[in-house]
Amino acid sequence: MANEVLNVVLSEAERHAARKVESVSLRVGVLRAIEPEHLSFLFSHLAHGTLADGATLDIREEPVRVECAACGVSEARSMPWECPRCRGSSITTRGGDSLDIISLEIDV
Amino acid sequence: MGAGKVRIEVERSIQQSADESSRAIRSLLAGRGIYALNLISSPGSGKTTLIEALLDRFEGKGGVAVVEGDIETEIDAERIRKHGVQVRQINTRSSCHIQPSQLLAVLREMDLSETRLLIVENVGNLVCPAEVPLGEDTRVVLLSVTEGDEKPLKYPLVFRTSGLLVITKTDLLPYVKFDVGKVRRAARAANPAVEIFEVSAVSGAGLPALLDRIESLRASKAG
Repeated sequence: MANEVLNVVLSEAERHAARKVESVSLRVGVLRAIEPEHLSFLFSHLAHGTLADGATLDIREEPVRVECAACGVSEARSMPWECPRCRGSSITTRGGDSLDIISLEIDV
Repeated sequence: MGAGKVRIEVERSIQQSADESSRAIRSLLAGRGIYALNLISSPGSGKTTLIEALLDRFEGKGGVAVVEGDIETEIDAERIRKHGVQVRQINTRSSCHIQPSQLLAVLREMDLSETRLLIVENVGNLVCPAEVPLGEDTRVVLLSVTEGDEKPLKYPLVFRTSGLLVITKTDLLPYVKFDVGKVRRAARAANPAVEIFEVSAVSGAGLPALLDRIESLRASKAG
C-alpha cells in the first residue's frame, strides 16, 4: 500500500516538475486495515533517495457515514450494528473505505 | 532556481490507480470473456468445498479453471485436481493474501482458451485479501455459522466490497449461537447491493440457488 502511495506521489511530482516533495495529504477510511503510523514509517523508508525523501504524510481519517431511516445521518468510527444515535436497526452505511491522495506540497 | 513551495490538488484514489498487475488481469479476462470470482473467508469456512460443488455443477459445460492460494502446501490444488480441471497453486509464503502479480504470472502460464469461469481461492483470512483487488468480477465472502455473527462488524471492508455473501454450514445452526438475521442486516448495512445465500454442503440446502446465481453471472459476461 505504501508503495502504491509512493508511486502516485512520484508520478504527480514528476508531472509538476517538482524538485522535492514536502508533504502528502491522504484520506484513509476507518474501515481499512491501515495504521497511520505504519503507513508513514513504510512510506518514509521506501521514499529514501527519491523526490519524496523526507516528505511527511498528513493522514486524515474518514469516518463511516451512517444513514438511519429513523433519525438521519450520523458518523461512526467503526461499522455499527445499529444507528449510533437512536439505536434504530434500519441503517445503511457509506464511505469509510477511502484511500485517496488529496494533495501534495512540492518545491518547484 | 526554485520558485518555492506549491500545493497541488491530486484527489486520486489509490485503489483506482491500483497496481498494473490487477489492471492486466482485468484486460486478460475481458479479452477472453472469462468471469472471475475471488473467494475470501476465514480458514475453514468452506471455500474449497464450494469450489467442488461448482465444479460438479459446471462439469461438461466447459471450462472452469481454479487458482488456489495458500501460505504453504499443494493440498487444496490436489483436492481440486481430482475433479479433472485445470488448477494452479500459489504459495504466498510470508504474504497473507494473493498478490495481483502472483495471479497474473500464473494466469499467463495457464491455457485459458476454453475457460469461461475462473475461481480464485484466496488465502484464508478476512483482512488482507479485502484490501487487494485481483481484477475479479465478483468478490465472494463466505462466513460459516461456527465463526460467530459479529464478523461483518469486525471485518467490515470485506463485507463492504463483496457482491455475494455465502453463509455456510447452516446444518449446524441448531448447535451454535449465530443470528442469521443479524448478519443479514449488518451485511446489508455495509453493502445494500449484497446478495446473501445460506447453504449447507452436508444437506445440500441452499446450494442450487447459489450455483444458479453464479452460473447466470458467468453467462452475463460470455460472448
